[in-house]
Amino acid sequence: MYGWIWRHLPGNVWVKALISIVLTLAVVYALFQYVFPWAEPLLPFNDVTVNDQ
Amino acid sequence: MSVRVIVRTVSELCITVGTLIVLFVVYVLFWTGVKADRAMDRQVEVLQDRWAKQPVRHTSAPGASTAAPEPPAPYEDVKPFALMYIPRLGFTWNKPVLEGTKTNTLKKGLGHYANTAQLGQKGNFAVAGHRRTYGDPLKDFPQLRPGDAVVLTDGANWFTYVIDKGPYRTLPTDVQVIDPVPRKSGYTRAGRYLTLTTCDPEWGHSHRLIVWGHLESIQPVEAGKPEALRR
Repeated sequence: MYGWIWRHLPGNVWVKALISIVLTLAVVYALFQYVFPWAEPLLPFNDVTVNDQ
Repeated sequence: MSVRVIVRTVSELCITVGTLIVLFVVYVLFWTGVKADRAMDRQVEVLQDRWAKQPVRHTSAPGASTAAPEPPAPYEDVKPFALMYIPRLGFTWNKPVLEGTKTNTLKKGLGHYANTAQLGQKGNFAVAGHRRTYGDPLKDFPQLRPGDAVVLTDGANWFTYVIDKGPYRTLPTDVQVIDPVPRKSGYTRAGRYLTLTTCDPEWGHSHRLIVWGHLESIQPVEAGKPEALRR
């Protein structure tokens, strides 16, 4: 999977490395901004009240 | 497809899932705290801005009294209306109290149960807060003891509650703990009470921890900080 991505990135090794870093940061940002805030309430840490579960 | 391709794909998948889990743990343990601290600071600023615009009152007799002030206007949902201080949790420990106990409200501070009494009024002023994640506001909840002060201010008055019972462990379905006169608290007559709730165990949700207190004194902010907050 990662090898396939690496082969399909344009440019020489340095350009590929730079694009990889940017891609990684973009994925981490998307995770922290959208995916984790959605997934976190599914964990039990939010249940601190007595009426609503 | 060769064995090599299969092994490589499975390995890459495992590494990806592992990285995801580590990132998620970082998010829950660290990043929610950063976000919550920022959100709480903003709520405190909202409160201070609002209080700064209030007209100055003339005080006739400064000092503590137990005469309740006029009931305030109904609290607006998800809006902050008070600041809570609990010296036992740290001398600088103070958190905004917002109206409502929805998940998104509790990310910005402590949440006041919408159907319970208002601050300083007759009945039970019940507040919930995170024990872990989102800034860990009530992390040291089990250290609370009878006699500890819980001080709140709504910008006009200081309300000093004193804890009488707790921490008491109960089930999430035990909604009687926030009744106007909570049965298991030992209170028998109607009064001005305080209930704090959080989760138990620390990282779980199988139980709740409760403390109960009663209103000890009310003093206007012009009279200065209450005794419990002085050092």
